[in-house]
Amino acid sequence: MTATAAQRPHESRAITYAWAVLCAITIGSWWLSPGHTTHTASPSVAITTAVVLLGFIKGRLVIRYFMAVNTAPRWLKLSTDAWLFALWAAVLAIYVH
Amino acid sequence: MTNTEPTALTAEQTDHADRRQRGTHLPGDGHMWLMVLGDLIIFGGYFIVYMVQRAMAPAAYLQAQQHLSITIGVLNTVVLVTSSWFVAQAVRAAADADYERAVRLIYGGGACGVLFIGVKAYEWTMKITQGYTNSNEFFMFYYMLTGVHMFHVALGVLILGIVVRELRNPRRRRPSMVEQGATYWHMVDLLWLVIFGLLYVMR
Amino acid sequence: MSATVVAASGGEPVGTEPRAPASKRDLWIVFWIFPTFFGLFGVIFVLLARVIPPPRPDVTTDQKVQWFASHATTIQIGFAAVCVVFGGAAIANGYVAYQMKRMTSGPTFAYAYMGAMAVGTLPGLLLVALCFSAATFRPDREPRISAMLYDLGMLSFNGSLGCFATGYLAFAIAILYDKNQIFPKWLAYVSIWQIVTEVIATQMWVSSAGPYAWNGSIAFWLAVIVFGFWLNCQGIFLKFATDRQPAGSRPAD
Repeated sequence: MTATAAQRPHESRAITYAWAVLCAITIGSWWLSPGHTTHTASPSVAITTAVVLLGFIKGRLVIRYFMAVNTAPRWLKLSTDAWLFALWAAVLAIYVH
Repeated sequence: MTNTEPTALTAEQTDHADRRQRGTHLPGDGHMWLMVLGDLIIFGGYFIVYMVQRAMAPAAYLQAQQHLSITIGVLNTVVLVTSSWFVAQAVRAAADADYERAVRLIYGGGACGVLFIGVKAYEWTMKITQGYTNSNEFFMFYYMLTGVHMFHVALGVLILGIVVRELRNPRRRRPSMVEQGATYWHMVDLLWLVIFGLLYVMR
Repeated sequence: MSATVVAASGGEPVGTEPRAPASKRDLWIVFWIFPTFFGLFGVIFVLLARVIPPPRPDVTTDQKVQWFASHATTIQIGFAAVCVVFGGAAIANGYVAYQMKRMTSGPTFAYAYMGAMAVGTLPGLLLVALCFSAATFRPDREPRISAMLYDLGMLSFNGSLGCFATGYLAFAIAILYDKNQIFPKWLAYVSIWQIVTEVIATQMWVSSAGPYAWNGSIAFWLAVIVFGFWLNCQGIFLKFATDRQPAGSRPAD
């Protein structure tokens, strides 16, 4: 089956791309964090919203590419998306309230 | 058995690849997904409780958060994400019946896992000697969440070890077994990403 | 099917009397003690003794004395009932151990489970019964002694979690190694959740208020929800295991 022979390096590359994006976002978070500021950190809705969005994106990358949910049955795609959405939406809602 | 590219796929591999192409392939088995989804929900509960408690004393929590080392947090996250890369590649190798490569990749993933635990232990030691203990509300959550997570990592390393043992045995090696172990391992990575975001980065 | 069970030695003696058809009546009698006992346990500990959900740790001596006074009657009825029925715990857990002996993972885990559950019953059920009963027995007891009984009862009830965590670990490992699938694999994973929630609950020794207190959202509520789910699953699969056990078969020693 030539289709699968062609798929194999493609899937492997997708995993590596996902890894690269995850690392980039993570290292970028270094500048957002309160831990690295020398003065007293102040709360920031903008930064926290960014953290929530990035968290959602990172989570979806791990689920879809690492956990191979991209090629999994629909119920799994829906339930993992639902968990991601419910969690981060709740985090943001509680933070903002 | 050489480890050059197999020229012909077995019927199982073809079927496996077909299901992936059609989008109906469940990695591993239902039991492990039940574990993973349930674990995600339970941890979700912990995360929500954390946010609620934090909302009741945001200034105190933020001040405590500043005592966490973001550098160590970023390092640990990159280590764990890299371990997931190894494990995901191992699943692909097993699907291609390249079992020796799969074993090497799993060792890589496991090594990263052990490194993660080492760095975390160092971080805990530092924090405790600096006087941040569970008498502080934020740090109570920090130790609890990272502690339970570390338990999951240790369990994951054990599971990866079992996968390696099964892969070494020509009669017992199966891609679905690697997938089960991988599913658990990626869950551990996923949970850490949330912990990293909530404890180390958000303000 | 026959591979699951037949005792290697000690077979039925060869005799001339006709054997009665094999029946599982003994198994069913014992099985039904499981849901009966745990149902009663729920009624007693929730409605009568008021131990689940627990009274607050962050109260004064006077408030503790007041709590005992207002719940004295139901506590006494509840724990009098405990005296009569708590043997059901031994039988319920013993029956789980019996089914565990049918697993290919061997009888060791069954005995470990049985031992852990047996030891856990003292702090996990009896001590709180004794402490609360003693407190309500003499309403005019010195308040600080009553307050101590309140704390002692609650701490032992919630602190018994170590014994149970050990039992759950034996249960989980036994299931994972069992080729007979007496219990489903995911129940092993749920048992591991149980262990994790129990370990987290240890923080109650340090917190008298908030989510880690013995009545807190994390140390208590999340843990009791997982426990309720797990217990129901264990009971349901105990019934399936009893259904599937071939009549007249016995687990190996």
